[in-house]
Amino acid sequence: MAERIGVYVCKCGPNIGDKVDVDAIVDDVKGIEGVATAKSHNLLCSADGLEFLKSEIEGEKLTRVVVAACTPKMYEQKLMRACEEAGLNPFLMQMTNIREQCAWVTPDKALATRKARSLVMAAINRAPLLEPIERKEIEVQADVLVVGGGVAGLEACLSLAQKGRKVYLVEKSPCIGGLAARFEEVYPTMECAPCMIAPELQEVLQKENIEVFTHSEVEETLGSFGNFSVKIRRKARYVSEEACIGCGACFEPCPVEVSNEYDEGLSKRKAIYVPFAGALPNVPVIDKDNCKRFKGEECRACEQACPFGAISFDDKDEVIERKVGAIILATGATLLDPKALPQYGYGKLDNVVTALQLERLNASNGPTGGKVLLKNGKEPKSIAFVFCVGRKEKEYCSGICCMYSIKLAHIMREKLPDAKLYCFYSDICVPKKEHQQWYDRVVDQGVEFIRSNGTVAVTADKGKLAVKHGTDSSGKTVSVDMVVLAPAVEPSSDIEKLAGILDTSRDDHGFFCEEHALMKPFATALEGVFAVGSCQGPKDIGDAVAQAGAAAGRVLSRLVPGEKLALEPMVAVVDEDLCSGCKTCILLCPYSAITRDKEKGTSVVDEALCRGCGTCVAACPSGAITAKQFTREQILAEIKGVAK
Amino acid sequence: MKEPTIVGFLCNWCSYEGADRAGDARLEYPANIRTVRVMCSGRVEPEFVLHAFREGASGVLILGCHPGDCHYKMGNYKARRRISLLKKTLEQLGIEPERVRLDWVAAGEGERFAKVANEMADTIKGLGPLELS
Repeated sequence: MAERIGVYVCKCGPNIGDKVDVDAIVDDVKGIEGVATAKSHNLLCSADGLEFLKSEIEGEKLTRVVVAACTPKMYEQKLMRACEEAGLNPFLMQMTNIREQCAWVTPDKALATRKARSLVMAAINRAPLLEPIERKEIEVQADVLVVGGGVAGLEACLSLAQKGRKVYLVEKSPCIGGLAARFEEVYPTMECAPCMIAPELQEVLQKENIEVFTHSEVEETLGSFGNFSVKIRRKARYVSEEACIGCGACFEPCPVEVSNEYDEGLSKRKAIYVPFAGALPNVPVIDKDNCKRFKGEECRACEQACPFGAISFDDKDEVIERKVGAIILATGATLLDPKALPQYGYGKLDNVVTALQLERLNASNGPTGGKVLLKNGKEPKSIAFVFCVGRKEKEYCSGICCMYSIKLAHIMREKLPDAKLYCFYSDICVPKKEHQQWYDRVVDQGVEFIRSNGTVAVTADKGKLAVKHGTDSSGKTVSVDMVVLAPAVEPSSDIEKLAGILDTSRDDHGFFCEEHALMKPFATALEGVFAVGSCQGPKDIGDAVAQAGAAAGRVLSRLVPGEKLALEPMVAVVDEDLCSGCKTCILLCPYSAITRDKEKGTSVVDEALCRGCGTCVAACPSGAITAKQFTREQILAEIKGVAK
Repeated sequence: MKEPTIVGFLCNWCSYEGADRAGDARLEYPANIRTVRVMCSGRVEPEFVLHAFREGASGVLILGCHPGDCHYKMGNYKARRRISLLKKTLEQLGIEPERVRLDWVAAGEGERFAKVANEMADTIKGLGPLELS
C-alpha cells in the first residue's frame, strides 16, 4: 500500500515565517510521490496547532507525518502524543529542524529557503521507511539486593524497607555497621558513632522485610533491571543464629589466639569470636582457617562450653537464590597499606600506626578500652599526624583524611592535654560548611601544622621516632613518641571480584564507575545496578548516606510493585539469519546488553538493557543489527535528501 | 553557482544540542551545512560518509560529545577509530581526507558549533566540489 504522507511546515510566527518562504516549500513538495497533503501552520505546537494536526491525520487518513518546525528537543514528544491521539503510531512522524538549524542561522532568505527545502525533502525521503514501534513494558520484581552493611547500605535498606520493599542485605563480615561501628567519635558532630548507628542496626536486624545475610557473599547475578536472579553464598558460621543468645561463654575456653583484624591487629581474638564488643548481630563465628578442629585436632572446647547447644561443626555453606529488581552496591572502601611506602616506617617501627589503628586505640570497645597507649604501655607525650600518605602515588585526594586527622588531633588534645601534637600536611582539604571551623579550632588548641608537601620520612631515634620533613638542605626533624598515618582511601580488595560477577565497570582508580559524575553519581552504567558510598569513590559518612538515599529513591520511583517498567523503545535488534556470531557487538556494547545465544550461536540484545546508541549497528560486519528509528535505510534516505 | 553541500552527522545529546544553541544565539554559518541527527557519533557507519559523497555532498562533518563525555560512555571513541580508518581509505580512493572532519561539540557550545561549521565550509570551499568519476 502506498503511504499517505502529510507534510506540515510550521511558521513559528515570524521565527520561521519571516526567514523561510514556507509557502513555496509547501507548493514544491505537493507533487512528490506519496505526499497526500502539504500545508503550513502558524504555530503547530499551540493547542490549535495540535488539534489541526490531529484532524489532518484523521481526515486525510495519513500513514506518515512530516513536521518541519523547531528542534525536536522542544516539542517532539508533544507532537508524538498528538499523533498517538489521532491513532497514528508516534514513531511514524518525522521531524526536521528548520528553525534553530536553518532559519535562525541563515540570514539570506533564498539560501534559508533552499536549505529548509532540502531538509524537508530529506524528511519526506525518510518517512516511508519509518516503522511503527510498540512501547514495551515488562513485569518487574520490586525487591532489592543491597551489598554491604556499612552506613550507606543501612540507609539504602531502611529507605527501601520503610516503603514496604523486601530487601536482602548481604554483608561479607560477620557483623553489620561497617567502619563507622568501629569509630568512637565521628566528625563533624563529634558524636559517639556506635550510638549514632545503633538504632539503624537494630531496625535493620529487626525489620520483617529486611533479610540480613552476614558472613555472606554474592556469588552470581543473572538477568537485568527489573528481573535479576542472585545467588548468595551464606558461609558456614558454625554457630546457629537462632540458638545463640550471645553470652560469650564460648570465647574463654578456645585455645587459639590470633591477631584481630577488626582491631587492626592491635589485639588478639579467639578462633570463635565476635569482631568487637557490641558487634551486631551478637552471634560469634568460627574462623575455620584457625580453628584446631578444622585443622584435624580433637577440640570441642567451645561446643562443650555453650549452654545452648548453638555450635555445630557440621554447618555447611548455603547457596541461597533470590529474585530482585535492582542491586545497590555499598561495599565501602579500605585504607592503602602504608607498608607499600617504606619512608613512613610502618610495619617496621613501633608506634607508627594508621589512623584506623588510632581509632581503635581510642575506642571504648577497642583493645585498650579507649586508652591511647604506646607499645610500652605508656601514654604518648607527642604525636605526629602525617596527612596525604599515598596521595601522590594514587593520584587523587581522598578528601576525608584531613578532616578525620583533625578530628583525631582534637580528640588527642582533649585526652592528652599536655602532649605536643603536629600535623604534617601537603594541602588542607576542609571543604564543607562545618569543617573549616574544626581546623581553626585545633589550631587554636595548639596543634602545630607543618607544610611538608609529602617529604616526611620516619626513622627510629633512641626509643622515639624522628619525623624528618623538607628537602635535604633545609630538612628539619621533629622527635615524637607516635606517628599516625592518614593513608589514601582505596577500593576494598574484593571489588574486582564483585565487578566481575556483575559485569560492571570500574574507574582508573579501581572504584565502581558511576554512570555520570555529576548527574548520576550513584548509578553504574548497568541499568538497575547502583554504587553508593565509598565503593564509588572516597566519601565521608554524610556523603555516603546521601548517595544511598538517592539510589534508594531512584529504585522506589522506578520499581513499583504491580506497575510495569517501560523500556527504551529505540533499541537495537539482531537479525538471527544474518548474524555470523563474530561477537564484535558483544565487546562494543557499553551496557552489556548483548549476549550470545549459545544454541543458535548468534547475538541477542536484551531490550531491558539496550539504550539505543547504535554503536553495535555501525560495527556489525554482517549488517545484522538494526537500530530502531535509526535504521541504515532511514539514514541513507535522509542523507540523499540533504546531500543534494 | 550553488555551493557544494556538507552533510553533518550530529549526535543527539551533545552536538545536535550545540547546533541548536548556535541557532538560539543566531550565529551564522553557511547554508550548505545540512545536518542529520543520530543518537551517537558511534552510530555513524563509514558507509554513511561514502553515501553522502555519492549523493553529491562535498564534505562530511561528524560531531560527537567531547572525549570522556559520551552519553553512551564510549561511542565517540569508536567513531574516532572508524573515521581515522575511513580517512586512510579515502586517500587511496583519491578523495582528500580533509573532506571528512570528526570533531567534538558539547551541548552548550553553540559558538564552537558555528566555528567548526564555518571552518569546514571554508575547507570545502578551498577544495572545491567533489568530482566523483
